Amino acid sequence: MSKKSEKFNLSEWIFTTDHKRIGVMYLIGSIAAFSVAGVMAILIRIEQSSLGPTLAADAMTAGQQYNQWLYFHGAAMILAFLIPGLTGFAANYFLPLMIGAADVAFPRINALSVWLFWAGIIVALLGFVIPDAPDIMWTGYPPYSILTGGNTAFYVFTVHLLGFASILGAVNFLVTVIYMRAPGMGWNQLNMFVWSTVTAFVIQLVFVPVLAAAVTMLLFDKYLGTHFFDPSAGGDVLLYQNLFWFYSHPAVYVILLPALGILYEVVATFSKNRIFNYKAAVYGGMWGVVLISGEVWVHHLYVSGMPDWIRIGQMISTLLISLPVGLLAISLFGTLYKGAITFELPMKYAVSCLFLFLIGGLTGIPLAITALDLHLSDTSFIHAHFHYIMGIFATFSVFAAVYYWFPKMTGKMYNDKWGTIGFWLNFIGVNVTFMPLFKIGVDGMPRRYWNYEMFPQFETWHYIAMLGALLVASGMIITILNWIMSAMNGKKSVDNPWKSKSLEWTHTVNPPGPGNFLKDVKVADDWTPYDYGK
Amino acid sequence: MRHILAFFIGTIFILGTVPVEANYFRQRESDVDSNVFRILEKDFMGVQFDQDLELIDQNGAQLKVGDFAGKPLVLVWSYYSCDGSCSAVNAELKLLLEQVDRQTIGENYRVLTLSFDKNDTVETIKEFRSFLQLPPKWEKAWTFAVLKDPQKIEEMTKKTGFKFFWAPQDKTFYHPNVFILLSPDGRITRYIYALTNNEKDMGLALLEARKGDFKVNEVIDFVVGLCYSYNYKEGRYTYNIPLYVGLGALFIGLSLLFSSVLLFRKKKLKEGTQ
Amino acid sequence: MKKMLTALTWIGLIMSSAIAMASDSAGVIKDPAESWKHLWMEVMIDLYIMGGIFGALAIYWLIKYRAKSPDAVGKGPKLTRSQRWAWAIVPCVLFLADDLYLGASGWSAWNVYRNVPENAMEVKVTGRMWNWEFEYEDGTTSSYDVDGDEGEKGDGLVVPVGTPVVLRMTSEDVVHSFGITEYRVKEDLMPGRITYIWFYPKKEAESWVTCTEFCGANHSRMYAPIKAVPAAKYQEWIAKRAKEEAEG
Repeated sequence: MSKKSEKFNLSEWIFTTDHKRIGVMYLIGSIAAFSVAGVMAILIRIEQSSLGPTLAADAMTAGQQYNQWLYFHGAAMILAFLIPGLTGFAANYFLPLMIGAADVAFPRINALSVWLFWAGIIVALLGFVIPDAPDIMWTGYPPYSILTGGNTAFYVFTVHLLGFASILGAVNFLVTVIYMRAPGMGWNQLNMFVWSTVTAFVIQLVFVPVLAAAVTMLLFDKYLGTHFFDPSAGGDVLLYQNLFWFYSHPAVYVILLPALGILYEVVATFSKNRIFNYKAAVYGGMWGVVLISGEVWVHHLYVSGMPDWIRIGQMISTLLISLPVGLLAISLFGTLYKGAITFELPMKYAVSCLFLFLIGGLTGIPLAITALDLHLSDTSFIHAHFHYIMGIFATFSVFAAVYYWFPKMTGKMYNDKWGTIGFWLNFIGVNVTFMPLFKIGVDGMPRRYWNYEMFPQFETWHYIAMLGALLVASGMIITILNWIMSAMNGKKSVDNPWKSKSLEWTHTVNPPGPGNFLKDVKVADDWTPYDYGK
Repeated sequence: MRHILAFFIGTIFILGTVPVEANYFRQRESDVDSNVFRILEKDFMGVQFDQDLELIDQNGAQLKVGDFAGKPLVLVWSYYSCDGSCSAVNAELKLLLEQVDRQTIGENYRVLTLSFDKNDTVETIKEFRSFLQLPPKWEKAWTFAVLKDPQKIEEMTKKTGFKFFWAPQDKTFYHPNVFILLSPDGRITRYIYALTNNEKDMGLALLEARKGDFKVNEVIDFVVGLCYSYNYKEGRYTYNIPLYVGLGALFIGLSLLFSSVLLFRKKKLKEGTQ
Repeated sequence: MKKMLTALTWIGLIMSSAIAMASDSAGVIKDPAESWKHLWMEVMIDLYIMGGIFGALAIYWLIKYRAKSPDAVGKGPKLTRSQRWAWAIVPCVLFLADDLYLGASGWSAWNVYRNVPENAMEVKVTGRMWNWEFEYEDGTTSSYDVDGDEGEKGDGLVVPVGTPVVLRMTSEDVVHSFGITEYRVKEDLMPGRITYIWFYPKKEAESWVTCTEFCGANHSRMYAPIKAVPAAKYQEWIAKRAKEEAEG
């Protein structure tokens, strides 16, 4: 990839053990999943834009296809785009560069991990073309997921493959960060992104096996006649929900933390500033999130008939998340203070992320309070809340990452004009889409409903949301096309266009060749990736 | 790789064709071999027993069902006179409760035996109690009573799903030997059948009837309660297997975290010494 | 520092007990929907204040600290050890205080939700794919058929105004959830388990119950009307229903 004259060789890419190529393969796979899941999102918005079946002849068909779109949109976005996009692509490509390592600790395991990821993507996509596609939402609650005529197995195998890929990645990167840092690099000199990846992988490693076990029991129940979750034979319906959210709430932080890590990099670089209160953000914020992440899952089950004392106990622990997340927010916003801020395209995405983070984070507070959730649960309000924080915020940070490191990965500069047009379409579009959903959610619009004939007053709002979604769609098409066109024909970029002080910019060429660094990296005692003041 | 993939996809399709059936609330049969006594648990779980129902207890005192609120209650429908054979259900309950060690009668729960025989009086209660011979400590916690208004018997038994009939030729009542567990606010939380259950099920049902209300020093009991779930098909508590599987998976996750880090350190140290 | 934490904890506890006591002293029935709306306003004010502070600061800084020249670098402060701790602990204490305040308010609203009034009328709700069945204490049933002809769909849940209603709920097949926006209540229905909610129809109103836990193809058509009517009208209706059922 370093010279133009080199011929493109597919098998070299497939059998590569180079962390950078693996990172790019993760990016391509996750963007593929993102695109297909995005099409589902548009279909969902169009179906909801008018009362009655919009894209189907009758109610039954409308319900069935709508549920399949919802399933695919949710499962693909979370499992195949957000988690692999943030921990697979970004961590694979940039983490070794940031710590001055030539590669990861186990390059072959890394290659196996990306194969499993691709297998997972294929099974996920197959799940949509087979007859009787899964229609169980990304949560797959039994008994419905057991009784349905849909092929729950595709869901289970997608989780298995992507989960296993993620576990391999987690082991690999934890070992890499612990043992392969450049000589002289202490714990307090790591990039924020490196810390965020480490904490995310700790969560992933501990909790993924629980999800894998839960969905495996689902598989046994559906196809092999066991009764793990069958209440008539001693099974426990609620236990699946507990096991599922025991993983899937921490999974939210697996997405949130690396997304914040990317924002720290972008905000620090374009403010030419040091991180405000680095230690509090890392040890209090990130590790605080890891500590609390395992004790809050019941806030997903406030309306599920759990014992009262658990609901109240976990309301308190859920509210306490505001402590570490507050520290992270103060540190991130504080990095702007007395900076020298420029608004290049990655920074535009990062700044928009600050506001998405505020809206998404703060709307989580009413949902944390049990009594308020008794109304808000499973309404459009919750739908808009997690789309702000998990969907858009995390997606925009992936986009910030791609633009920020675009010169690093391709050696070329992106097209700023089209990129900016895409950005504004995206940013305006998401707000037009999801702001109405907050409103109608509080007014009682249930989630996962294509039909709302009993609430005709919501039709206008759904129509506006659909227009917003079309804006986002055009913005996304422009953005992704811009990447492809710029990667092929973009102007050559200088080696460190943002004048960053981080190792991946200062010590490698664009793009880095095999082995990453031309000579061994050593860092001084007082070096940090953010020492712009010197 | 290709074979593995083919096998994998094949497996999915084969699995996709297996039919599934589920049947919740499997209907239970009583120990007397007759469908007549079958309690449709689905229809009666959660029903609140009439709190205003007036009773007369063994001492002739008047009281109401509502007086028992605040603690779980074991409700037993029975009769006190021994025309042909005496009701065995109370004796069975006594045996069962003697073996339940972590829940204490009086302290954690109470027992109420009500008569469904309209001929029973305070006198027949006294007779019956002397026959049963309760330990002195239990006297206060186990109340025997008749309904103040015997006309209400049918309505009240029906409300709890309990059926019975008198067989003149045998001079005996036919009825299910069942213990009905009520929550502190008087709602039916479980049916425990005398013949198919042991003290473990009784203990778990008593714990369940407390609805998560437990003291700090009873955390172990609560955790034990989590390890079981009620099996409608078998009519008893069975192990809550997914919980163990989940815990095992969490253990695997944690050991992956520690072992991967520590094992590599060993490997690295070895490389360093060579 | 420790003193401050203790003080804050006490403030939180006192506030919560004060709120709890206030709700006990009055002999009237507390309405969950009202306590919900009250709590919602409180939380919204809280959110707008927090969001306003962070948002305004960010906008102000983004404008004020624009780079003056291409080579300009940031002059963000290098914190001393004590400043670092202060910037960690002070925000944490503030957030903790806010959490305790919200937690206390949330807890008192929760108590309203969980304390069913004694004179409540009980209705059994059975959820199945995809309709609701309501069974009154006297055995009369009612339901709603979304596909039925106009006028023959059924009445759904009819309740008298002024009487609290407690629902005893279970499901026959998969997990459903019973949510009424008008009364701000929601709880899941599960096979093999019983759950309860209660609400307080204070005035004549027609609202909807919707299924709010995904339950298959017709999930979004699993709804029924909830009609709160004057007591006399309710008696009339239930007598009519009982007669209809007796006639088959």
